[in-house]
Amino acid sequence: MIEQYTITTTPKYNFPQPAIDTTLPKRFIELSLHSLKHVQSQPIQLNQQNFQQTNNIEILNTVHFKPQPIALRPRHMPSIVAAVDTSSIKIGETSTGILIAVRGANVWKENRSYRYSRLGPFIFHITEENKREVYTTLQRAYFSMPHENNHQSFPNIIQMPMRIASLLERWLQTMLSRTISKGLILFDGSLTSGIGDTPIQLMKEILSAARKRENTVLAFSKMTNLRLNGRLITDVLPEHRPPYLYEISGLRTKPPILLLGDVYVARFSKEKYAFRLDIDREVAYQQRIEAVEKLLWNESLSQSYPETLRLAHILCTFTANEVIAMQHFAVRKCGFQIIDRPDMHKLLFGPFGRGESYS
Amino acid sequence: MKLYKKEGNVLQILSFPNETVEKGDYLLVEDAEARRGLVAQVIDVQFASVPGVLEELLRSLPDGGEVIQGEDFDPLDIASHITYIQDASLVICKIRATVENESLSPSSSWLPSRSQSTIKKLTIPTLLKLAKVDGKLPIVLGGTKDSSFLTIDASHLDGRLNIITGKKETGKSHLSKLLMANLVGYKATVVVFDLNGEYSGLGMTSDGKRSAHYDKVHVLTPSQNFKVALKQLNLHVLLGILIHALHLPGTSAREFRRIWQSLKERDKLTLHELGEVIPVWQCNQHVRDALFSRYHSLINSGFFTDNAAEAMLLEDCLFKAKEQGGAVVINLRNTSTIDRQIVVEYVLGRLVEMLTSWKLKATFLFAEEAHLYLRETYWDDIVTRMRHFGIFTTFITNQPDTIRENIYRQADNIFLFNFTNEHDLDVVSRAARVDAETVRSIARDLPPHHCLALGKVVQDFPMVVKVKALDIKTMGETRLFFNGTN
Repeated sequence: MIEQYTITTTPKYNFPQPAIDTTLPKRFIELSLHSLKHVQSQPIQLNQQNFQQTNNIEILNTVHFKPQPIALRPRHMPSIVAAVDTSSIKIGETSTGILIAVRGANVWKENRSYRYSRLGPFIFHITEENKREVYTTLQRAYFSMPHENNHQSFPNIIQMPMRIASLLERWLQTMLSRTISKGLILFDGSLTSGIGDTPIQLMKEILSAARKRENTVLAFSKMTNLRLNGRLITDVLPEHRPPYLYEISGLRTKPPILLLGDVYVARFSKEKYAFRLDIDREVAYQQRIEAVEKLLWNESLSQSYPETLRLAHILCTFTANEVIAMQHFAVRKCGFQIIDRPDMHKLLFGPFGRGESYS
Repeated sequence: MKLYKKEGNVLQILSFPNETVEKGDYLLVEDAEARRGLVAQVIDVQFASVPGVLEELLRSLPDGGEVIQGEDFDPLDIASHITYIQDASLVICKIRATVENESLSPSSSWLPSRSQSTIKKLTIPTLLKLAKVDGKLPIVLGGTKDSSFLTIDASHLDGRLNIITGKKETGKSHLSKLLMANLVGYKATVVVFDLNGEYSGLGMTSDGKRSAHYDKVHVLTPSQNFKVALKQLNLHVLLGILIHALHLPGTSAREFRRIWQSLKERDKLTLHELGEVIPVWQCNQHVRDALFSRYHSLINSGFFTDNAAEAMLLEDCLFKAKEQGGAVVINLRNTSTIDRQIVVEYVLGRLVEMLTSWKLKATFLFAEEAHLYLRETYWDDIVTRMRHFGIFTTFITNQPDTIRENIYRQADNIFLFNFTNEHDLDVVSRAARVDAETVRSIARDLPPHHCLALGKVVQDFPMVVKVKALDIKTMGETRLFFNGTN
């Protein structure tokens, strides 16, 4: 069964390709098929639920702004802008676990046109029995050896979709950092590492590989928990004509959490939207500013958010139609049986039952 | 296919891309447990309302309206399942009958099992067999979508009021010729009011040779080979012409009656004598003028003659047709409006006369664009009184609003060709034998030469048929300016 899929190359990019480790997609497929192999006639309860990435990282809140905003001017230097995002979704529950899907997308903009490379969806049947095997096998295949999180307690089955998606995301980030030269690499989220799905060593390797090829990694967070005097840092926008950056200093983290980037608040357009922006700490200050200014010239920044990153998100997000299609796949190809388990909240409380998703 | 909803007599069925269903198809929703099934006809095929489709479409066009270029690495081939779900369709059907123990009843009051019912296509031959659409006088209308023939029974046209309608160049005349040829083949008497001279080739094959019906087709062209002498006319037929076609007032009609009686008593019923008498007739000057102007209209029509050898007896043709079957084609091409009305008044008057006196058994009348020559009062006459005499009319028109609503309501059979105009569809949808949605939905998408047969001929199971080709010489073609020029 597994041998039916011959994966020879990863999708082509329109920039020079070094020797790319293709192990991950292959392992993804193998493990996906393996996990689905022994589920003949298992009933699945359909239950759509998106996993939102949350950043509950403990950062000591001694935040303050530096007095002067950094004014930005678009820098007329053509550069590739590339972005990565991944998505995961639970497509059903079985009696022994959950059926999940993950997908990732790389999008890049060069010569004013966007291109993408999308991987997945990969469907996994995750159970308490196989979750460790699936995760560690993927980790090994990806990154040669398990990283430090191996010593931590293993994630709950509910966290597995995000964990697997994070693995795929790190691999896609690695791909970009090793293939692009003199470009801008946009990550979704922060450069905070040391938590379960952001191993320090791996994140350092990704950033290092990017630097070696003269790339700059810019990580945009749509949401942040960082506050200044009780207000979110992205809500505190002093009067200044955009585009600008404000550097956030005074951030301290508890081990093993480590900030690999310096944190800024970025506002690129007149609209009152600002984002937390992490820029690789090892990059020289001037190069950081230059990178953001190149982004201003090379990228469309509606609502202060890079279009490339927006496209990466759009391309990997699962639509309801796709969820139905994957459920159809699970039934037709893997022998799952769909059951309609009653929602106990609705059953017990009628119109007052809010549904299981709220429990 | 899966049964999704039932609202009234409308079924909604979910269909997947590998199940091809089109408008007009029949489906059998069979509930094995209940031992019965619903016969439903597809009247519309829509996209199923699949959640997330809008996002899917938007995602494919994010780059300023251009499709974003890229590659998908989809090892599990989920894309094919996405396409499968996305292309699922919702089939809207009208319940036509319930089938139980191989017999049909018009009921739709029961609910088949949603989970257990099986849905399959019902082929036209199976449906025809179930509906018992057969008979001793078959007329093959043409082919259906499932490569079978749709055969109706000529007796379902007998004693019926029929309408053939559709927009220009969709095949109405072709179908009427097909029906005529078959009726003649079954020794029926057919009278055609041929507005454009299209039916004169009915007795010839497409290559100009004589067809099997050659001797049965009698083409009568008014003022050429079709003239009448006053002596052959009954007074009430001529009065009908004067009053209805030439709008002679009542007082003048009374005077004309007296003149007619006077000439008849003297055995001088000729046009010449009539022309001599009117100017000297003792009556009001206005009445005399009115009579004289109508007299000139009769003369100018060229339809009347004093020459007995010239006079062509309509009765002769009809009697011939009565014996062996035949079509009397009244060629109204190149005939003025007034003359056309005179001829039609004469023919209908004579027909009623002959039918009343049982000289004729019954006649199938084909009237093309009847509003151009049929007087107002005849419409009701045709659907009520004349039908009882044995005139069974088929109206052929591309302007459905020229036929009165009550005609549609009383029509027994409607052969509907393509219409795209909403107003036209509105008019036709008033027919009593079918619901408005079926007419609107199916007629709009009918290709040329395809017709939706409604009514008795198909036992009220509307069926789409591609009218079969006829080996008949095409006549009455539109004269074109650019034809043959480069």
